[in-house]
Amino acid sequence: MANPLKLYLTCVRNTLEAAMCLQNFPCQEVERHNKPEVELKTSPELLLNPVLICRNEAEKCLIETSINSLRISLKVKQADELENILAKKFLRFLSMRAEAFQVLRRKPVQGYDISFLITNYHCEEMQKQKLIDFIVQFMEDIDKEISELKMSVSTRGRLVATEFLKQFL
Amino acid sequence: MMAGAEKIVEADNSEAIITRIEHKSRKIESLLKQNKPVEALKTALEGSPPVTRDERCKSANWIVVHRALMAIKNVEGMFSSLDPEYYDILMKYLYRGLSTGDRPTCDQCLRVHEKLTERAGLGCILRSLADTVNTV
Repeated sequence: MANPLKLYLTCVRNTLEAAMCLQNFPCQEVERHNKPEVELKTSPELLLNPVLICRNEAEKCLIETSINSLRISLKVKQADELENILAKKFLRFLSMRAEAFQVLRRKPVQGYDISFLITNYHCEEMQKQKLIDFIVQFMEDIDKEISELKMSVSTRGRLVATEFLKQFL
Repeated sequence: MMAGAEKIVEADNSEAIITRIEHKSRKIESLLKQNKPVEALKTALEGSPPVTRDERCKSANWIVVHRALMAIKNVEGMFSSLDPEYYDILMKYLYRGLSTGDRPTCDQCLRVHEKLTERAGLGCILRSLADTVNTV
């Protein structure tokens, strides 16, 4: 249904707009180092409360913010075994090419399918609104992509089976 | 010794808080029977979050707020009668509801979240993210 999806995406968008308040913050422990604090979690005063937004039992989105970085982890809907495999392969394909995406994380956080890591440098180079648009658009499109992949797998399977079984007619 | 004294105070406090939450729960049930969901929500949000680190008190309070929140049918109408001082605490409970993953709760929380953000703005969201002391 479109409407619950729209509400879910609006909620994620609003939360991201509020949470994406990043500034440069050099590492407190080691001099001359600059690390994304949300990944290390060494100092509690630099972290905000993590927020988990669930659309239902299967889909959720975890947003963790810190002073200089923001991590968004998504779990996409996987209705059956085939969608499970397709989603895993597709998202692994994207994660391996994380360099090209810049904001993508090479490995998803434990328990999720894909993760984004946005640092203050990204916010300086790119527009905050466009980053948020990208993430929300990604969430919208991932479901469509996986359904398309599933449909093409079923069609191809059917064609192959028809051709193969013709020889037995 | 101070830590010991604090622990004892905490335990008494927890019992007192849980008793208070039970009183609130009874009041809310009666308000819901009289078909006044907005007053029920206001009663639930008053005195929240409980000033304690005890997870049982927080959970008990959440159950009460959840009951009142699920009873609300008209979200627009609710905001016209809810005072702005309740917005911040309501936002914290909405995020707690969204983390449960239970479908009807999430649907309701998403609906209320959209309207609350329109009313209260992004500052409300940021205050609920930044407040690490008074968590719900």
